[in-house]
Amino acid sequence: MSAEVRVWDPLLRIAHWTLVASILATWITAELKLDAAKRAHEWVGYAALAVVTLRLAWGWIGPRYARFSQFVRSPARTLAYARAVIASAEPRYIGHNPLGGWMVVALLASAAAAGLSGWLSVTDRFWGVEWVQELHEALANTLYLLVGLHVAGVVFTSLCHRENLVRAMLTGRKPAPGPGDVD
Amino acid sequence: MKRRAFSVALALSAALLLLPAAHATGLATCDSGSRDGWQTQEKLTAMLKEKGWQVRRIKEDGGCYEVYGLNEKGERVEAYFHPRTLAPVPTGAKDHKG
Repeated sequence: MSAEVRVWDPLLRIAHWTLVASILATWITAELKLDAAKRAHEWVGYAALAVVTLRLAWGWIGPRYARFSQFVRSPARTLAYARAVIASAEPRYIGHNPLGGWMVVALLASAAAAGLSGWLSVTDRFWGVEWVQELHEALANTLYLLVGLHVAGVVFTSLCHRENLVRAMLTGRKPAPGPGDVD
Repeated sequence: MKRRAFSVALALSAALLLLPAAHATGLATCDSGSRDGWQTQEKLTAMLKEKGWQVRRIKEDGGCYEVYGLNEKGERVEAYFHPRTLAPVPTGAKDHKG
């Protein structure tokens, strides 16, 4: 058994799984047509917004692999990585790979947008306003679609590099970098 | 080959996701029959304004009129009314007769 390195810090992992739970809960409470579910939906939405805010701050002040500056790569480099994936020749990244990094940005942005539009829809000013309700639904559906793509990307990358990335997000540890890996 | 199989699986699941979701009806349903016997949304709006409500939106949901608005106390409400009688329908009611 080769050595492992610590990649994902505890706060990042707690934020990740709390966001998973709250996004799942927003979906369930939106589908259940009950008064109590509507109230719960509102509160899990606020919880998700709080986690997103925390994660955004952590992206600036957190440890190395949590920082946006570590994993948000230029469009050119991201495109080059995508081409390498298609050619089955992409390197393994210890932190987020360039596509995964942009997925983190897209997920946080759409979660924030869905949460804020939901908040807007329960203010006196925008209550019952059709375009606000429709915007909230569209943003939430975008978020759920991105979640699906994110999970697919994680499974794909795990298979390609024979490492369990879900486990890494639970334990925080990944196999140590080998030759050719990007740290 | 594993990659190709995976890509096909991914495309299929994305297509499934994009299918319009079958949406269940809302918080109540009304046994309201054909539209011929329905009262107009305008009449419901006028009736609620009379009570001091601010009506924001009325849509049809489960055979009922679903009203978003602010009630006479200025509280946000989402309320159901029977399209034939314009009587309030309690949320949770199934096939309310009005």
